[in-house]
Amino acid sequence: MAIVNLKKRQIECKIVYYGAGRCGKTTNLEYIHKAFKKQVKGEMVSINTDGDRTLFFDFLPLELGKLKGCDVRVQLYTVPGQVRYESTRKLVLRGADGIVFVADSLEVRREKNMLALKDLHQNLKEYNLSIFKVPLVMQFNKRDLSDANITLMSLKQMQHDLNRQLKVPCFPGSALTGDGVGKTLNACLRLLLKSIQKELNLDG
Amino acid sequence: MAGNAAFAGNLSFLNLGELIQLLGTNGGTGILYISSTYASQPGLIYIEKGNPIDAANGTKTGLDALFSLFGWIDGQFEFIQEDITRQNVINKSRMELILDGLRLLDEGQVEVLGPAAGESETEPTVAKSGSVPLIKGPLVDYSYVVDEEGFYNGDEIVQEGNHGNWIWVILEGVVEISRETPAGGALKILRIGDGAFLGSVTALLKGDNVRSATVTAVGNVHLGMLDSQLMTSELANLTIDYREFVRCLDERMKQATKMAVDIYAGDKKIADFVKGKKILIKQGHAEKRLFRVRAGQAHIARETDAGIVPIGCLQKGDYFGHIPFLDIGQEPYSASIFASPDLKLSSMDPQELQREHDKLSSTLKNILAHLSTSISVTTLIACDFYNKVFAGNSK
Repeated sequence: MAIVNLKKRQIECKIVYYGAGRCGKTTNLEYIHKAFKKQVKGEMVSINTDGDRTLFFDFLPLELGKLKGCDVRVQLYTVPGQVRYESTRKLVLRGADGIVFVADSLEVRREKNMLALKDLHQNLKEYNLSIFKVPLVMQFNKRDLSDANITLMSLKQMQHDLNRQLKVPCFPGSALTGDGVGKTLNACLRLLLKSIQKELNLDG
Repeated sequence: MAGNAAFAGNLSFLNLGELIQLLGTNGGTGILYISSTYASQPGLIYIEKGNPIDAANGTKTGLDALFSLFGWIDGQFEFIQEDITRQNVINKSRMELILDGLRLLDEGQVEVLGPAAGESETEPTVAKSGSVPLIKGPLVDYSYVVDEEGFYNGDEIVQEGNHGNWIWVILEGVVEISRETPAGGALKILRIGDGAFLGSVTALLKGDNVRSATVTAVGNVHLGMLDSQLMTSELANLTIDYREFVRCLDERMKQATKMAVDIYAGDKKIADFVKGKKILIKQGHAEKRLFRVRAGQAHIARETDAGIVPIGCLQKGDYFGHIPFLDIGQEPYSASIFASPDLKLSSMDPQELQREHDKLSSTLKNILAHLSTSISVTTLIACDFYNKVFAGNSK
């Protein structure tokens, strides 16, 4: 649920990067922070959580323009997947306006991806969000590794594994080189904008 | 706390992370007061233009204090707008503080203050001021206070073993509850403060009551005597099942206290407590049913790192299982139930008890809520003693 801040004339919303440990959520955010410096507001907060890092920063996507005279400000988060980080997950996922699900293309991570997606579904449900309704895009990450002789899953197979039911926009990517990172984020922003517009209109 | 709060509410609805986020969005300047029934004094967070710049919790200040407050999962908050002239000693971004604070909470690195329950695995601990925990009660409903009495520091208000039916509410001040130990001498168990109750609800059910502990004033204490007659007739209008439930709750309190004293005294029988008994409810399992003992015994024990700590023994007529409207910090989440070989049970409908409970006046509800908190805290105290006496860990 986006928050309208009348004082600053801003609409604040949240995009959460979700995925199995080491799938590249953090690398995605680090790349965005570096490559879109002008739009980044403030420092990147990085918290070392067991096995993974939790990142956060504010982002002002210029191309979105104004909504009812308000700037749209986006908070970007990654969320630690482990069960024990319940309070952190709750704070991050509660009221998320958009989700980027990052999937690992390595063949050996196939099961981890599916588990992470199931987990996301379960977690969203706990905070009264439906995986079918929340603006969601997918990124099939680490495509660059095909050059390094590592077995990757085909995009078709990943679609089949993860996106058969959801049918959300998905993009091949390489967070390390930055390929597809901007595309993924933009797609998520567009979906998010649509849903906020709908929300605002409905609410009068 | 002053009554000019700009924003106030309950931490169980809005946790500290969400609260700081909200105040941050708003860019407010002022002091955030947080109070918990499990802590003797409120925690403070100084906020300037939406960013925490300093905090205080007991002897802790700055970042340490701020992080420790993330453990207060149950309590009240009040934000009072005012100019802040303090130095910024925290110097970290709001979001970093929130995410780091929650991480510490999730990793169990900050002490959790709240009811000893929930499905979480972290063991809650009691706020220690001095060495004896302090429990405060809910807001006093003055319509039940028929008389007021004052006591001075050191006055004995109630003496263990005496007969007495009065129930008091503490209007102001703190009293200490102690019990005789088998070796002689009194063991200080806990302290209770404003809004807490003295006396046993059983007195309202039976009419005759033996005091189970000694109560002494710590500093000047102002007590309000409650209208027993009114409460007795109120309880008399409820079902027998509910009255039995209330009796059983009071009995549990007495047993937990007695057990704490026995453990403290190093009673050897304690080691054999669960021997040869079958486990009926495993601690931490989501048991949604409520039972009543028809014959035999059901033993309550909490499993801790130091071993299995006995808490009490339920007899014919007693209840155990999931109680939806009160949190006593024992089974099913925070204690196990062990059955004697001849145990016979019947299943009860918690909804029926709930309906009766909903009919109660606020004062009786408060008394029962306070009783539940006391059971929960006394259980923790028993575990703490156990850890010291039997496992040899003196923290």
